[in-house]
Amino acid sequence: MGERVLVAMSGGVDSSVAAALLVEQGYDVVGATMKLFCHDGDLPDRPCCSLDSVNDARRVCHTLGVPHYVLNLESAFGRDVVDDFVREYAEGRTPIPCVRCNTFTKFRDLVAKADSIDARWIATGHYARVADGVLHRGLDHAKDQSYFLWGIDRGVLSRMILPVGSQTKAQTRAVAHRLGLEVIAEKRESQDICFVPDGDHTKVIRQRLGANAPSLAAGPILLSDGTIVGTHDGHARFTIGQRRGLPGGFHEPMFVVGIRPADRAVVIGPRTELLGRGLTARQMNWLVDAPRVGATVAVQVRHRAPTVPATIVRMDSDEIELALDEPVAAITPGQSLVLYDGDTVLGGGVIEAGKRQLPVRAA
Amino acid sequence: MPEPIYLDHAATTPVREEVLEAMVPFYGPRFGNPSSMHRWGRDARTALDEARERVAHCLGARPDEICFTSGGTEADNIAILGAWRALKGKGRRAVVSTAIEHKAVLGAVHQAANEGAEERFAAMRDNGVVDVSLFPDVVRDDTAIASVMWVNNEIGTIQPIDELARHAKSVGALFHTDAVQAFGKIAIDASTVPFDVLTISGHKVGAPKGVGAVFIRRGLVIEPLFHGGTQDRGRRPGTDNVAAVIGLARAAELAVAEREEDWARLEKLRDRLQAGILARVPEAVVHGLGAPRAPHIVNVSVPGTDSESMLMALDLRGIGCSAGSACQSGSVSPSHVLSAIGVSTDLASAAIRMSVGVLTTEAGVDRVAEIFPALVAKVRGANAAAAAD
Repeated sequence: MGERVLVAMSGGVDSSVAAALLVEQGYDVVGATMKLFCHDGDLPDRPCCSLDSVNDARRVCHTLGVPHYVLNLESAFGRDVVDDFVREYAEGRTPIPCVRCNTFTKFRDLVAKADSIDARWIATGHYARVADGVLHRGLDHAKDQSYFLWGIDRGVLSRMILPVGSQTKAQTRAVAHRLGLEVIAEKRESQDICFVPDGDHTKVIRQRLGANAPSLAAGPILLSDGTIVGTHDGHARFTIGQRRGLPGGFHEPMFVVGIRPADRAVVIGPRTELLGRGLTARQMNWLVDAPRVGATVAVQVRHRAPTVPATIVRMDSDEIELALDEPVAAITPGQSLVLYDGDTVLGGGVIEAGKRQLPVRAA
Repeated sequence: MPEPIYLDHAATTPVREEVLEAMVPFYGPRFGNPSSMHRWGRDARTALDEARERVAHCLGARPDEICFTSGGTEADNIAILGAWRALKGKGRRAVVSTAIEHKAVLGAVHQAANEGAEERFAAMRDNGVVDVSLFPDVVRDDTAIASVMWVNNEIGTIQPIDELARHAKSVGALFHTDAVQAFGKIAIDASTVPFDVLTISGHKVGAPKGVGAVFIRRGLVIEPLFHGGTQDRGRRPGTDNVAAVIGLARAAELAVAEREEDWARLEKLRDRLQAGILARVPEAVVHGLGAPRAPHIVNVSVPGTDSESMLMALDLRGIGCSAGSACQSGSVSPSHVLSAIGVSTDLASAAIRMSVGVLTTEAGVDRVAEIFPALVAKVRGANAAAAAD
């Protein structure tokens, strides 16, 4: 029997095929599905969430002849991911909970479980690649998920296996069929945030903070000169660059260009006001030795956005400031800044603010 | 991997060969419906009536006091909801239980509360036994039914059923006991202990899953849960599960006949396992240690570990145990039983229940005790490292 690997299995095709490929490669595979949240918390005999997914993962493991466990990480996930999600919206940002789930739940808490059962390796169904302790984009750039992985502990990279990261989604589905995993082979892609019911994130905010949460309360819609042009029913319903839900009657398309929780204002403006030439980010985490101030990197500020060249103008402890070589639209606080060198992920952080002016390096 | 070791007999047991043998004809030539008037029906009906007599005999009861069910959960529901619904119009508005009951009882009590009952819980002592002196505080003349399990399924503590039942009777309340874990371990005699309703389950004693029985003392009127035909005097409509009932009767007879011998054997194995673990991991805490316990259950927590990791690590070494209550998804939640008897959350989240039985051998428990410390060290190390992050 080969070395033991704990595979995080959602019941979807990617992680199922990841497990199957590792079995083929001779690893001692242990499957685990994380139970992360439960919506009807106050019912005495609550129906467990995502029961079907758990059952699918269990059946796949049964087909593969490997053990499967359900791990209850509900309280840690609630603390590390859901609480932060709600807090970020309250502060006028647009969070990416998947990043924190990877950072804290999958590649920290699950690693502790791997240690408990003597598993040398940890695997997931992410479309990204790890080679020699360095993280790279998935081979299929259309499916690449490296943008969500910048926050993990660098030390974990040497224990990670991402078996589907070097193939396309079509190849993944083909492997599922070849291995007889018909239960999951044609399952649809999950697009929504797993703990957000019906794609409406305000429900989660309401559950946690109550219907009177300030981020869900009415406030003004302003132009950047302060002119009030309308009202909204909660700034948490908006994100930078959004057009939906804004008042009409302007001679050019208007976008959300700012969210100010202090006075619950949503600031709108034309496309020119959406463009940024610089940005600051916090919670920086490096997956390689940190570059120096003055270094040129490629940055990505949103999932699926193209990278743009940028120069590091400032770095203090876990904060960074970058000058962008070309204007970038809709730099959104709360989204991730990920730094690349070609396909290699250097590190990342959480965007604090975009800057209209090009930042200059302090002398 | 060496032969796997099953240490979860309190969860379920394999069907005994004698039991299966007794059942087989009722899936074949003796397939009749006991409600039919023809020869096939008569044959099945005779077997069913005999099975009822045999189960009654095992409980010191009369045949008309035995009602067959789909298992322990249904029996508990018939007892609690059936009694509550029959009595609620008669000034008996409270339903009493304990916080260490099986979910089947707690769920039924909760449903009674949804239907207007006042739910009350008897005080527990820290050793996992009901505080007899405080029982009269909750079981009073307004009580419809009180339900206390005979043997706790997680920690094995034995409750003073005779005393509790006598008190209930003295205030005119009905008394139910879930004897699922007690049956086959403790002598049950309805002619000497004044419980009114009692639950047993087949699959804990070598009968198949999906069959159980509820003893309902003669003269007691209980609202049926189901409505339909007249099977079982209308208390439990639905075509009788003849083969399973035959299996239950056979398993019950064997369990009662072997009870004392079995107790001695299991107690020896359980004590050996417990001593083996405590010798190697002295900081391990055995729950319910200060109370009378049934011989087949040991529930142990090792500080610094967690149930989930320990159960995985044990299973990967071929050892099957369990923790508190399993959720529908199969994930582990901290035990409500341990919380109820004052065990700290940390310790309760580390609990592992091991239960010995028909498949257990001395060599098996020795091997578990030998492997145990290494698994503890691993899990502890991982948890300490994660906490330090």
